[in-house]
Amino acid sequence: MIDSVLADQGDVLYAWLAVGCAIAGTAVWRFAGVVLASRIPADSPLMGWINTMAYAMVSGVLMLILAHPTGVLATTEIEHRFFGLLVGLVVVFFTKRLIVSLLFGVASFAVAVTFF
Amino acid sequence: MIDALRAPCYALGMTMAGFSTIAREAGLDFWMALVTSLGVWGMPGQVAFASLYAVGASLVIIFIAVSLANMRMLLMVVSAADMMHLGAHQLPLWKRVFWMHFLAITAWAHVGMAEQKYPSHLLLAYYQGFALTIFTFGIGGTILGYFLSDFLTPDLLRFVIFITPIYIMLMIINARQKANRLAVVIGGCLSPVFFPFAGEWAILLAGVVGGSLASLYSRYIAEWHLEMEA
Repeated sequence: MIDSVLADQGDVLYAWLAVGCAIAGTAVWRFAGVVLASRIPADSPLMGWINTMAYAMVSGVLMLILAHPTGVLATTEIEHRFFGLLVGLVVVFFTKRLIVSLLFGVASFAVAVTFF
Repeated sequence: MIDALRAPCYALGMTMAGFSTIAREAGLDFWMALVTSLGVWGMPGQVAFASLYAVGASLVIIFIAVSLANMRMLLMVVSAADMMHLGAHQLPLWKRVFWMHFLAITAWAHVGMAEQKYPSHLLLAYYQGFALTIFTFGIGGTILGYFLSDFLTPDLLRFVIFITPIYIMLMIINARQKANRLAVVIGGCLSPVFFPFAGEWAILLAGVVGGSLASLYSRYIAEWHLEMEA
């Protein structure tokens, strides 16, 4: 009885420590970013490079979410997800309208998932 | 502000509701899921955290995996601070850290879009309104998602969760500078290629390699083209 209560408390402690680790693991980067930002001159080639890396990294994250999703998105086919992305990209390329292309992308994904 | 009240806040709210569902499946209680959203505020890291927690990974592994998944915050904060001319606003360090806590992919990408429309001295105010609005919706989504996951059909939920990655992808592919658009294309192509052998490191690798290639191309090859034409 006491053992199980202690074990439960241990689990709760582990869970909260894990939450703390997740928060710390993100906060260090934001803090480092704020400190670094004030030291890098604007319009320098270094800032340009940081920008391209930020874009490439964000794009990399998004493509991983689409290629290897978790949760309910994982119940859909990879072909359907990339079909939706492709339609969105084609529409945005021709119309330059964000919301319209978003609607087309998501709608074609929904159609693909539902009917194919 | 008004921009935020269009598509992004609902999509992000649903994405965070999606996180709540994963967190609940992983065995986190409501407060833990809420504090994670409040304190981390970066979707890929949160998902990595919940999945690792579910398998009982060690605290060190959780810290490393979340750090890797959210490492882009460093670059995004530097890049956003540059766009908003944060230095010119003379804010004390704690205020800069406080405001940058709300920076995540959506707000960062929107500041990039707003940079094309508004003068730079107004961008900080734009960012503050935008980021706080979507943060509120994101936290609302976390709360609702935890309790409503029984009522939402997964069939519907997966369409809604699909919105955020597509939305941001379409937004960053429209970046003002060519080099950044090129970086989006290269980084996006590389990360799934690196993933099978690099795991979470794939994001970092794709970012560094893709960003460097795009920068080098725009500096040397594209300039060389310009000189040829001139």
